[in-house]
Amino acid sequence: MRSFQFTRSLWRPRWHKVTADLWGNKVRSFLVISSIAVGLFAVGLITSMYVLNGEDMEAGYSSVNPASIQVFTSLYEEDVLTHIRHVEGVRQVQGEYIFSLRVRRSGGEWKPIDIHAIPSIEQMDINRVHLEKGVWPPRDKEIVVDSYKLPELPVGVGGLLELELPSSRTRSLRLVGAINDQTIGSTGGGGFFLAPAQGYITLETLDWLELPNNQMNVIFVTVDRSPNDYAYLREVGNRVSDAVEQSGVTVYSTAIRAANDHPNRVYVDAISAVLFVLGFLVMFLSGFLITNTLSALLNQQVHQIGVMKTIGGRRGQIMGIYMVQIFIFGLLAFSIAMPLSSQVSYSLLGYFSQAVNTQQQGFRVVPVSVVLQLVVALIVPQVAAFIPILHGTRISAVEAMSGYSQSNPPNPKGWINQRLHDVRGLSRPLLLSLRNTFRRRGRLFLTLFTLTLGGAIFIGTFNVERSLSSYIERIGRYFMADVNLTFKQYYRIEEIESAIKEIPGVRQVEGWTAASGELMLPDGSVGETTRLLAPPSQSELVSPILLEGRWLGPADADSNVITVNERFRETYPNLKPGDIIQVKIAGRERDLQVVGFFRLAGKSSGYLAYGTYEYLSRVIHQPNRANTFRVRSEQPRLNLQEQQAMGRQIETHLEALGYQLADVEAGESLTATTADGLNILTIFLLIMALLIAVVGSIGLMGTMSLNVMERTREIGILRAIGASDRAVMELVLVEGALIGLMSWVFGVLLAFPISSLMSNAINLALFGAAADFTFTPTGVFLWLGVVSVLSVLASVGPARNATRLTIREVLAYE
Amino acid sequence: MSTSDRPLIQLTNVHKTFNTAAGQYNALKGINLTFSQGEFTSIMGKSGSGKSTLLNMVTGIDHPTSGVVRIGDEELHRMNESQMAVWRGRNLGIVFQFFQLLPTLTILENTLLPMDYGNIYPPAEREPRALELLRMLDLSDMADKLPAALSGGQQQIAAIARSLANDPPILVADEPTGNLDSRTAERVLDIFNQLALQGKTILIVTHDSSLARRSTRRVLICDGELVNEHIAHALPSLSHVQLLKLTKLMTPRRYETGVTVARQGALDAGLFVLTGGRVDILRQGEAKSLSLITTLLPGQYFSNLELLETELCDLTFRVTSDGPVDILCLPLAQFDQWLVENPSAENALRRSAAERSGFYCPQPRARPQEPRVAPFLATSYQDPLQQEG
Repeated sequence: MRSFQFTRSLWRPRWHKVTADLWGNKVRSFLVISSIAVGLFAVGLITSMYVLNGEDMEAGYSSVNPASIQVFTSLYEEDVLTHIRHVEGVRQVQGEYIFSLRVRRSGGEWKPIDIHAIPSIEQMDINRVHLEKGVWPPRDKEIVVDSYKLPELPVGVGGLLELELPSSRTRSLRLVGAINDQTIGSTGGGGFFLAPAQGYITLETLDWLELPNNQMNVIFVTVDRSPNDYAYLREVGNRVSDAVEQSGVTVYSTAIRAANDHPNRVYVDAISAVLFVLGFLVMFLSGFLITNTLSALLNQQVHQIGVMKTIGGRRGQIMGIYMVQIFIFGLLAFSIAMPLSSQVSYSLLGYFSQAVNTQQQGFRVVPVSVVLQLVVALIVPQVAAFIPILHGTRISAVEAMSGYSQSNPPNPKGWINQRLHDVRGLSRPLLLSLRNTFRRRGRLFLTLFTLTLGGAIFIGTFNVERSLSSYIERIGRYFMADVNLTFKQYYRIEEIESAIKEIPGVRQVEGWTAASGELMLPDGSVGETTRLLAPPSQSELVSPILLEGRWLGPADADSNVITVNERFRETYPNLKPGDIIQVKIAGRERDLQVVGFFRLAGKSSGYLAYGTYEYLSRVIHQPNRANTFRVRSEQPRLNLQEQQAMGRQIETHLEALGYQLADVEAGESLTATTADGLNILTIFLLIMALLIAVVGSIGLMGTMSLNVMERTREIGILRAIGASDRAVMELVLVEGALIGLMSWVFGVLLAFPISSLMSNAINLALFGAAADFTFTPTGVFLWLGVVSVLSVLASVGPARNATRLTIREVLAYE
Repeated sequence: MSTSDRPLIQLTNVHKTFNTAAGQYNALKGINLTFSQGEFTSIMGKSGSGKSTLLNMVTGIDHPTSGVVRIGDEELHRMNESQMAVWRGRNLGIVFQFFQLLPTLTILENTLLPMDYGNIYPPAEREPRALELLRMLDLSDMADKLPAALSGGQQQIAAIARSLANDPPILVADEPTGNLDSRTAERVLDIFNQLALQGKTILIVTHDSSLARRSTRRVLICDGELVNEHIAHALPSLSHVQLLKLTKLMTPRRYETGVTVARQGALDAGLFVLTGGRVDILRQGEAKSLSLITTLLPGQYFSNLELLETELCDLTFRVTSDGPVDILCLPLAQFDQWLVENPSAENALRRSAAERSGFYCPQPRARPQEPRVAPFLATSYQDPLQQEG
């Protein structure tokens, strides 16, 4: 009992001081907690997003049991699948009939749609889909579509979807559901974003579409082990191909994909790469923010620490009080930041997972993120507070009792002081602001570092966004034609050209050809499926972004030269310009010489190569004929609407002449579709920039406010010697603006390496190559605006309080 | 600032109440006080007595809960904080206990700063004026130094230079020597004296008795109320609370020229404190003639206790021929009651009475040839604040 009373009497006032300090100055506590919380939030958000991003993609993708091997064949019947099931290494086999029709879109135009006719649709084992709306599976004469393209269709779930059959007749299917199919784009080609809409029907519906209902043309296979080992997948894939051909079925192409390799993995990886860099930077930012905030807070407590020391408080006891107080601050900030960051990261990823076609897993708290936040919340503040507490416990009794400190006077001989001393011609109030800014070098450094880092990340994020956006603009160089026409069959180029040129306003028509080929590996096995595009060798409608080597020219007209995209570099890092690769085109292996590498929309765009029309048209036995045509208007720089109008005019004209068109696409629209994935990244980067701005802003406000609070006594003196509200405001605002401005200058400088770091991270993930450095003034000036406005906002409130309250303190109120 | 005959600073029925966690606290209770131009006044009181609050009323740093503070023609409560700050910068110089020079500005710049804010002097005149002030206070060598390079005393003198920057008519100082050694404190007091002689009105809050002695007027405040300055002066051995009680109990009376205020055996009051005019103390000689022992001046007292001690001397207290006299009186019955309630005061007064009786009635009785000045009266003033130890 005695011991209890002793403890009570000893401990109570101390802990009461802790709670009284927290509750007594609510504004200050709010500033401190929000500054710490915002730092923790940033750490929590970014680490959670980083972890969830990767986890969601892998777990979501593997949960649909994606096909490791996809074999595109001539039509076959069910018994072939039975044969394949016995091939070594095969675990599951599923057949589908995939074919293209045209669907009427919202604008009335016809666009391609890939239809998957799936036998035993209710028992799909491979490439499972996730129902998002309506019902699954569809029944006879019903169709389900992928939810990504649903907005482009003229009807919603429940409506009738109009399809154009190969015979040009139309049929309607009831749209009964929308699903998420993560395997779209998994066969290479243009990848997810360039893929047409996908429809899913039962085999019975094929009758209604005038197609045989007992045949299939694609085989999906999963393997018995190592689903992420490409070598093994290729080995099994070759065995499956051989088995298919042994069954008398022709194999057109084979696609191999690991079970963890989501078709849009590249974008997810790019997001992760940015998050990783940001996470690293934000850890620093948050650490400095907390250090700065707490050193400002504890500097205000130095006097009290000294007083406690003079009345017998031991250093350990005093440190204990403040460590507990800081612990409570950290804990409160953590309790705000942790759930908030978990929720916001989940919501943000929800948006991105929809955009990149991944399946978001359930809400969950990321343990690593929680631990990191706890470490930052509980350990960083203690470390940050150590020096101010130590300083406080070293204060002399006289300084503590008088509140007058000469312990840290400005060193008049210091270089900065000498320079500041030499400043002439400024009014004393301005001089005061200027010198006050540099008065506490340590604090200034912390404040500047925090703001500089925040600013640099903001500007850097903007630069990366700009660099990506400008890259997206450059992608337009691959689609310089105003209208791209795809026909259902090959036509003579001269015939189509003259037909199109009958339309007024057409300047140029180019006939292109295209083919699919399979890369043949040195061991004779079949590699990746490659899309070959062949513009005329003198084409003016492609202006490529070259990574290495050269582009095609008139001299290459009849030669077997190609340029390949970044995906080849990713898969075959040793491939160099001048190397010969073997590609199986139209059933025959051809030697093609790679003369250059170009960059398109990232590694996810599939294997794409450009050859010359002259060469490829011969290879596919369609000389002087083409099934795709590129049309350019006399009028330069048509916008999307103008291009679409031109497309409709050409379509009407050609159809009237009896030509069968599969697709009419505006150039701008092709560019936009190609860049869809990159656009998601730019949106992501803008959101990150916004978040950093919010974090930086709250940090800045907290820092500036605490700075002004520290000046309370001085402001009181100025009021006593005649400084008006305006004079005090000017003093504080000039100081705030000076700090803001300095941090801006340093931020702009630091933004160079940070931009470069982030750009390289994202570009390596996207293109497998370092980025061209882009520096945009937008972020620089936006941050200047943010810093200026916030410096003012952050200073006004405390300065107003200071002008009202502090003279009494200055005169040592009774 | 007005140059009329009105007092320069006038506080009328000033109340100040603070709402604290412990409830309402009345720091000032109906203060009526005036200060004239050129007065050098020290405001004294124990800690918590309200002296700094009183000073804050004069400087406009705080506003009265009720009552009026008028300085010159300005009623301070009519100004907002910002106007007040500007007015203060032009009309009041404030000197703080801990100097409060701005550490990042040189001494010269510190002195220039109020001029920049006040904007009274054209920019071209400011620096010469600041240098002149520093020269006057022997600080011109330090003009380009930062405060940290100066001793505490030098900093306080620099702070005085700053307070004089706009040539304000009033100088206010809160414990200006509280943080200085005695030699530097003397130097500061000399400066204040010189300034008062030049016509500045100086108010200082101080615990320093030597500083209080150097001022021309002393105002004592206790529990938020003013102690009558004459009572405080007359009865320095009493505590502040006792002095305040007497202030409340004693009532003013006026006696015309030649009137006998009191005589042995015919006393209607117990305690008399002169507030104006003069009173002769006369003793009846052997030939029934009255001989003058001494003359009492304002700020001096006599009491029933002296008459009891000098019963055989037959003393008479009479108004001098040069005018009426104002006296604060405590009726006999109340005086006796007060003595019963304040035994320490009774002891002090009885000791004083015994000492005086030796002067009034020396043994053997001998008629003094000339009126004498009672040494204990002339030097009787003791700083009440010395009681604070």
